[in-house]
Amino acid sequence: MIFLIHYNRTAGEIVELKEFEESQRVQAEDARLKMELDLIGKKDGDEVCLLEAGSIEALKRTHRRYFESLRMLTATGSHTVASIDKS
Amino acid sequence: MAKASKTQIDRLGDRLKKGAVEEPDLILLDSYRRSFGTAYETVVQTIRTEIELEPTGRPAKSTNSLIEKLKRESIRLTQVQDIAGCRLVVSDILEQDRVVGSLLVDVFSEARVVDRREEPSYGYRAVHVIIEIFGKSVEIQVRTRFQHIWAEISEKYADLYGSDIKYGGGNEEIRRVLETLSQLIATYENLEDTLGRLEESDEVRKALEQISIFRDRIARELDEEISRIDNEKGEKP
Repeated sequence: MIFLIHYNRTAGEIVELKEFEESQRVQAEDARLKMELDLIGKKDGDEVCLLEAGSIEALKRTHRRYFESLRMLTATGSHTVASIDKS
Repeated sequence: MAKASKTQIDRLGDRLKKGAVEEPDLILLDSYRRSFGTAYETVVQTIRTEIELEPTGRPAKSTNSLIEKLKRESIRLTQVQDIAGCRLVVSDILEQDRVVGSLLVDVFSEARVVDRREEPSYGYRAVHVIIEIFGKSVEIQVRTRFQHIWAEISEKYADLYGSDIKYGGGNEEIRRVLETLSQLIATYENLEDTLGRLEESDEVRKALEQISIFRDRIARELDEEISRIDNEKGEKP
């Protein structure tokens, strides 16, 4: 799956997320360009990125910052340590 | 769009450095980023089939990240090596070394390794394998789960408080937290790696107990950070 993400860095939150099949790479790239062009001259802190993963769950594991708050991320770290302690 | 020359791309990089991004430049940048598509897809597909891992890919670096990199480092746009890339998150250093070894020996003959474990970049630790294919560079980031969670926290701080945090600037307290965590994780991972390569013995068992102390310290540092975030009435904003 290909994921087009419009993320606002200042807010630390996703503004928009669109999904494409792997076969729709060109459409995804076109959509990224359109999104970037639409944002010209608008508010700061916007980031548009195209990411690819087997599933949204896999993407959330490897690109947590788009999906989790700072507190959630830090808690994820703490849970990771705790899970090793039990193993 | 006709293929742009190296000079045209580097001039584009110069304009991006100056800040104001206009429509023709975004279209040219888009075209340049798309030119990495075949190299990127080949690398990702090769990882899937040859070492049976599922990377998460970033076919092209975001415009913001690219502009920040051009401003931060005195390099030309055509010299940026991580326009296209992908990421693998593995359990520990033993597995990290195994995966990097597979990439270099079994899969890609034209590759360069940047090992940020021995020389961290402002606390950032990982191994980057840079593949040269079809005249393009594709960067594979190989991180352990601890290196990865550190990098994610660091990125999030950079989002909220400015990217200087990642490069030795910004808020001193946040920098201290990130540096402390990075050092604790490095010590923990190195001990775990050393022990993982030894035969089981009383000495090893004692050492395993000792490394749990580092694990506790990492957890404590993270929990203190959660408390600090809560005390600031949640994160910014």
